[in-house]
Amino acid sequence: MSKRPFLGWFASPSILIAFGIAASFLAIVQYSLRAYVPGSLDPGGLTLDNFTTLWKLVYGQAFVNTVLLCFWTALFTLLIGYPLAYAMVRAQSAKLRSAILLISLTPLFLGEIVRTYSWMIVLGNRGFVNTALKQLGLIDQPINFMFTMTGVVIALVHFTLPIVVVMLAAALSHIDRNLERAATSLGAGRVVVFATVTLPLSIPGIVAATSTAFAWTFSAFATPQMIGGGKVQTISTLVYQVGFASFNFPLAASLSLVGLLFTIAVLAIFNTGIRRLEKIGAH
Amino acid sequence: MKKSTLDHVLDWSGRILLTLILGFVLLPFFVVLIASFNDSAILSFPPKSWSLRWYANVFEYRDFGAGLVNSLKIAGIGASIAIVAGAGFAYVMDRYDFALKGLLNGVLMSPLIIPNFTIGLGLLILSTSASLPRTIWLVIAVHVIIVLPFVVRSVYVSLQNFERRYEQAAESLGASPLHVLVTITLPLLVPGLVSGALFAAILSFNEFTASLFVVNQRTQTLPVAMYNYVREYADPTLAAVSVIYVLVVAVLLLIVHKFFRLEKVLNVE
Amino acid sequence: MLSEIPPIPSQNDARPSVQIDGVSKSFSGVTALEPVSLKIRKGEFLTLLGPSGCGKTTLLNLIAGFLEADSGELFINSELVTQVPPHQREIGIVFQNYALFPHMSVAQNVAYGLRTRRVPKAEIAERVRETLALVKLEDFADRRPRQLSGGQQQRVALARALVIRPRVLLLDEPFSALDRNLRTAMQVELKEIQSRLGLTTVFVTHDQSEALSMSDRIAVMSRGRIRQIGSPTEIYDCPQNHFVSTFVGDANLFSATLVETDGKKVSLNVGETRLPLTTYQDELPAAGPVTLFVRPEQCRLSAAGQDGAIPATVALSVYQGSYAEMHLDCPTAEGGRVMLRVPASEALPVGTAVSIALPEQGPAIYAKEEAAA
Repeated sequence: MSKRPFLGWFASPSILIAFGIAASFLAIVQYSLRAYVPGSLDPGGLTLDNFTTLWKLVYGQAFVNTVLLCFWTALFTLLIGYPLAYAMVRAQSAKLRSAILLISLTPLFLGEIVRTYSWMIVLGNRGFVNTALKQLGLIDQPINFMFTMTGVVIALVHFTLPIVVVMLAAALSHIDRNLERAATSLGAGRVVVFATVTLPLSIPGIVAATSTAFAWTFSAFATPQMIGGGKVQTISTLVYQVGFASFNFPLAASLSLVGLLFTIAVLAIFNTGIRRLEKIGAH
Repeated sequence: MKKSTLDHVLDWSGRILLTLILGFVLLPFFVVLIASFNDSAILSFPPKSWSLRWYANVFEYRDFGAGLVNSLKIAGIGASIAIVAGAGFAYVMDRYDFALKGLLNGVLMSPLIIPNFTIGLGLLILSTSASLPRTIWLVIAVHVIIVLPFVVRSVYVSLQNFERRYEQAAESLGASPLHVLVTITLPLLVPGLVSGALFAAILSFNEFTASLFVVNQRTQTLPVAMYNYVREYADPTLAAVSVIYVLVVAVLLLIVHKFFRLEKVLNVE
Repeated sequence: MLSEIPPIPSQNDARPSVQIDGVSKSFSGVTALEPVSLKIRKGEFLTLLGPSGCGKTTLLNLIAGFLEADSGELFINSELVTQVPPHQREIGIVFQNYALFPHMSVAQNVAYGLRTRRVPKAEIAERVRETLALVKLEDFADRRPRQLSGGQQQRVALARALVIRPRVLLLDEPFSALDRNLRTAMQVELKEIQSRLGLTTVFVTHDQSEALSMSDRIAVMSRGRIRQIGSPTEIYDCPQNHFVSTFVGDANLFSATLVETDGKKVSLNVGETRLPLTTYQDELPAAGPVTLFVRPEQCRLSAAGQDGAIPATVALSVYQGSYAEMHLDCPTAEGGRVMLRVPASEALPVGTAVSIALPEQGPAIYAKEEAAA
């Protein structure tokens, strides 16, 4: 009797797609090793020049910017995502729980453009925030959010929040409530219970959420492109610029490749961290 | 049970914090809503007079309509391909052991780590070097690659929670493997498949970055058309588009929520 | 009381309905089932009894064909089925949680096995009606499984398995999801239907009282092996080893030294006490340290210091209505405790020194090392 009756039928479409992914990855690797021929889409001979070019200041600055964005975004997303996830998991009424979930998820389902455009209107020099502050008499000159790191971070936190809330909520909902009840019965107050039981037990979830927030921010393009407006260059905006302004595909390919290797390295570090933490928490 | 002063402080500060955060999440959408009804072309708050002209503008600007049609086509076809390929792969992953299983899984899941701009660039370079024309099928291919991991995950979770006893019962009653698949497995997986496909369609409809690399004037999607509009014009037409967009997605989400409960789909119960 | 042990029924009375020859199974190197051989007679109700992880469910799944044996052969009605996939084995199964197809009505569930056999529509309707009548569910044909009570669901599961006229009926802990009263009622009903239809049945359970009340024969399993197979009386009255004695019924075990053996007559020391006994066992362990087994109802309480009785002290008396359970501290008992039942009015106060008298016939002696197993 055949033990795997549908293997061929079920696996072949995905194998085809896997070949497509592998081929496009190889295309990037191959182009990153080819010379740029100005004015032509076809690359020249084999070279390592693209990678030496990346040492130039502008590319280094993009790397630094990207890492800073990732760091600040992850930090602030966690700070506001944790209370949200906590409130959602612990909400007494199912309606409130659903409402929090739906609201926190809204940004996830609206796409980068709508979200970023909305933030442009909120943060612009004559946007909502500046107008409101002016009318309240708190400022004379508008605060510059547009084309600054701060503006990009605010919009990216909004962008990353849903996935972080979902991951933290999943982690929090899997904590046995009896552990907290046990702590309470032993005389711990709410703050102590949270600090000594809930928070420590949710650390694996926090690390996992941080790593995802990092990956999302790293690959964000529309937000730094539109709110950064060329003033806050990241790897993604630079790849686009190099690829489409000068059609230098080889350089764009090598930049993407280095960025990808960097992401993989960072995520690998996070993963080892998560595995260690899970070992501690394992029963 | 009597609550201490500290409890009251905690309760209230928690409520205020929650309200503030939810406000932060919703703020941009309220602002966009107001801006879309602002009569003036220059963004300012609060609006001096109200009008619907930006909504009228949306329907006059050809690129939005064409982009919407493209986006719907791409989301529809892409999600269909993704659900067929993804469900098949999830089944194979759940049930069988075979050579290179780990490698295949790794490659198919890699778009979760590889940034969308890299995926877009990769397929752009691939199609350029293979001299393939930049048709809508190239955009669909990019979208399938990007949404596939989510579909696989959604179906895989359904399969993991699937009660294998149903299949064993059917087998013991004389059903061949194909018959079991058609009469038991598939009907019981329908919720997982539908939510996976809807999820894929929403993701695909929203995808912007990778699309930007592979579209041309004829195949541009709605998000790309919107992006191009912002770069060229500074009027609030896009606010009107955004409002319509939000409404459509909200309705879709509510439908998904009604039938499948998001808590379940996202495993946060 | 034990002199009339029923003879072990000959297994060659008729052609066996199920024959298992040296079937074994391991999962990624861990043995789930040692090579097992077993013949099940036509119409027999055989129970696989054992704790979880003993291999009983593995054996059931091997008979059903959901697992492939590592070695050995399996015959159903003398037909070799080792390589036959489950859907061609013509076996009926009632699962633990019934596995009723949630997307089908009761009638569709029952009809499923007939549809796969391409039975004509009219006949399907007729047989579904008959079978639902057999399990007294005629009026529930159009309901969905989740609209039924636990007992009704189980009847549907039974009907679905019976309607295909299976060669063997497999029952995988079918009563575990029912509450106690319903469970007893369903046991009676199932047993009636089974004997009326003369259906060869393999029943898997970890519940000894279920096994004792329903079975023609019981195979007691532990650690992937059948430790004893026999009628319920044989299993209860004459357990052949330490495991069976403690798993089925209550047991009092003493550390003893076997002094001499003469056929079934033995002489042994329990602490200071010398006991002459007659056992039912055909094979006895060698002289030396052994475990002495007695059922609580075979022990009698007597005054302290009585000759040929084992000294003990009352540690706890548990009132159980019609009787009281006396738990005694006894230095020679394995685990230091002995339990026996007395009429509630005869319960003794805690701390009373007593002695335990054993009958001359009935106890059994097991090799000491078995205690570790």
